[in-house]
Amino acid sequence: MTEKKNKSAIQRRLVPTYVFLTIVSIISVFPLYWMISAATNTSTEVSRGRILPGTHFMENFKNLTAQQPLWRALGNSFFYAILTTVVCLLVCSIAGYGFEIYHDKAKDRLFSILLLAMMVPQVATMVPLFQMFSKAKLLNTAVGFILPMVSTPFMIMMFRQNARAFPIDIIEAARIDGLNEVQIFFRMFFPTMRSTYAAAGVITFMNAWNSYLWPKVIMTDNKSLTMPMLIANLITGYVTDYGMLMCGVLFCSIPTMVVFFVLQKQFAEGITGAVK
Amino acid sequence: MKKKLLAVLLTGAMAMSLAACGGGSGDTSQDSAATSSEASSSEASSSEESSSEGGDKLTIWAWDQTFNILSMQMAADQYAAEHEGFEVEIIETSSDDCQTKLTTCANAGDYSTMADIVLMQDNSYQKYLSSYPDAFTDLSNININWDDFGALKQSYSMKDGVHYGVPFDNGAVIACYRTDILSEAGYTVADLTDITWSRFIEIGKDVHEKTGKYLLSSEANGGDTLMMMIQSCGANFINDSGQAYIVGNEVGDACIDLYVEMIQNDVIKLVNNWDEYISTITNGEAAGIVNGNWITATLMTTEDQSGLWEITNMPSVDGVASATNYANNGGSSWYITSNCKNVDLAMDFLASTFGSSTDFYDAILPNTGAIACYLPAGESAVYNEPNAYFNDQAIFSTIVGYSANIPEFISNPYHYEAREAVNTAVINIVNGTDKAAALQEAQETLEFKMSE
Repeated sequence: MTEKKNKSAIQRRLVPTYVFLTIVSIISVFPLYWMISAATNTSTEVSRGRILPGTHFMENFKNLTAQQPLWRALGNSFFYAILTTVVCLLVCSIAGYGFEIYHDKAKDRLFSILLLAMMVPQVATMVPLFQMFSKAKLLNTAVGFILPMVSTPFMIMMFRQNARAFPIDIIEAARIDGLNEVQIFFRMFFPTMRSTYAAAGVITFMNAWNSYLWPKVIMTDNKSLTMPMLIANLITGYVTDYGMLMCGVLFCSIPTMVVFFVLQKQFAEGITGAVK
Repeated sequence: MKKKLLAVLLTGAMAMSLAACGGGSGDTSQDSAATSSEASSSEASSSEESSSEGGDKLTIWAWDQTFNILSMQMAADQYAAEHEGFEVEIIETSSDDCQTKLTTCANAGDYSTMADIVLMQDNSYQKYLSSYPDAFTDLSNININWDDFGALKQSYSMKDGVHYGVPFDNGAVIACYRTDILSEAGYTVADLTDITWSRFIEIGKDVHEKTGKYLLSSEANGGDTLMMMIQSCGANFINDSGQAYIVGNEVGDACIDLYVEMIQNDVIKLVNNWDEYISTITNGEAAGIVNGNWITATLMTTEDQSGLWEITNMPSVDGVASATNYANNGGSSWYITSNCKNVDLAMDFLASTFGSSTDFYDAILPNTGAIACYLPAGESAVYNEPNAYFNDQAIFSTIVGYSANIPEFISNPYHYEAREAVNTAVINIVNGTDKAAALQEAQETLEFKMSE
């Protein structure tokens, strides 16, 4: 009896918490809902504030594909985002591993300098980067697109921090068993740090998918159009078709949402630095 | 599992090396629609050059598929009919992106990625011309009779008497009103034609009292109402020497007083952004809108209001000798960059289409709604056709007629900065800040922005 009373008392105490969390959840999810609902309404309906789903999705979709090369933009975005993610994970994890496992004073100093680079905003490096890439004949190339994004101080730091939790005994045991350093990295470190890779992968994929300024500056032809560029094109005219715009935004958001939801569990573990 | 992960990594590394070898291979693998000529130009050496290498092809940066880009494509088709082999490649580039790219190229000292022809906003062009004069080609030798364009429109793309741009779309300001709401309050559009802002306020108060609607909608920060008011007097928020001129500007004071009065008396519905601005119109919350004539395209998307709108000229500022009922807002012009390898072709193309062809303007009007700055175009039959959405008014010829009457004013390379400064001052005044203090702050803000 007392136990039941206690239980209901706890439940009562939790009511405000649940109410608060419900409100916050609605506030968080509403923009997502509105995006989907707006994609099914006409521009005028969106502008008039209609929030219920409509029946114009196919019309908006047809207008979008008639006006913009949606499939090419999606293809480009996937190509560049996946390429960036794969290369970035490889480069940054090796760097983070190196900084932690073979660490000495000189590397620590180098790491501090690397962290300072995090303070420099991207726009500040735009002109010199453009100059360098132009001289290296990398404008309008996939390499030019991904290179500034494949080695970021934040990712290196993330791998270094998580590598701290990697048991050094495993490395020593592996060395005794005859594995060389490259084999240790790929066979021991890599599988153990799966959740870190997942978290880093989600972050890098999202950043690469959403990158706009640098690709816009370095890619100067229509063939390199990516999804964020396509969305930007939809809002530059004298008339904005809000239904079509939201349809485009929906297509732009789905891949990042899928990546996030698929790797959600590992992402949470990776961020907290879990080692399995 | 390990093998799978290793395979993914190896595939990634392979893709990377393939991309590196192929230069622009990212394009070729995905763009099945690429023409053979485009594909053949994907070698690393040529693909990075954005402009054409002489020849009959011109690359163009423009925005808005249904307006600027379609107009340019139609111009290219018309020109290609008489010039075999001529083609254009239009790269969709927003106005902001064009400016970012231009700034990056200029600072890097490398214009090689610029297109042959770029479209730029009239309000922002002067800033880029004065900052990067070497980015553009002067059009002294182009075969255009400049008298066919309004003086103000020309001034946007000129410096020291030299032309740099071929004017394109018209930004002549119009006032659009909902006739049904006006008649509910006992007014017609004739009552709002050739009037002053004081009379507008009287009518506006009456309309609000009788219908609960506002006579005008305006954006708080990014809005142009105040800029249109001062420019309709041939004045601006900078003086003859190009310095910030908000404090002590008599014409500016008159405009700000009228604007504040309209906000405080529910004549203007002040909203936060463009989306809300459009909402006030589609919702029928506002009975009128004063803006560049390109706003008609937005109005026409609200199909259930067809036949309810009419246009007329904007009100004039009271007590200012130079006040008129005409102003300009928006609009853009075409510019040939210094990276263009075939300047003669580019000049001939622009001159024989945008610069002198009534047929061309007649052709683009029904398809794009792009209204010419080219004054002879206004006389053609197409421009005089009635428009059902605007209660069968011949709005196009009316608008071209307005554009001939717009007074010239001191062009301000810092148009957007000035706009933001005075709009902020107005909000502060409405919220109770002393007018002199608010204007002083705006003056200092603009001076600071102009010194950056």
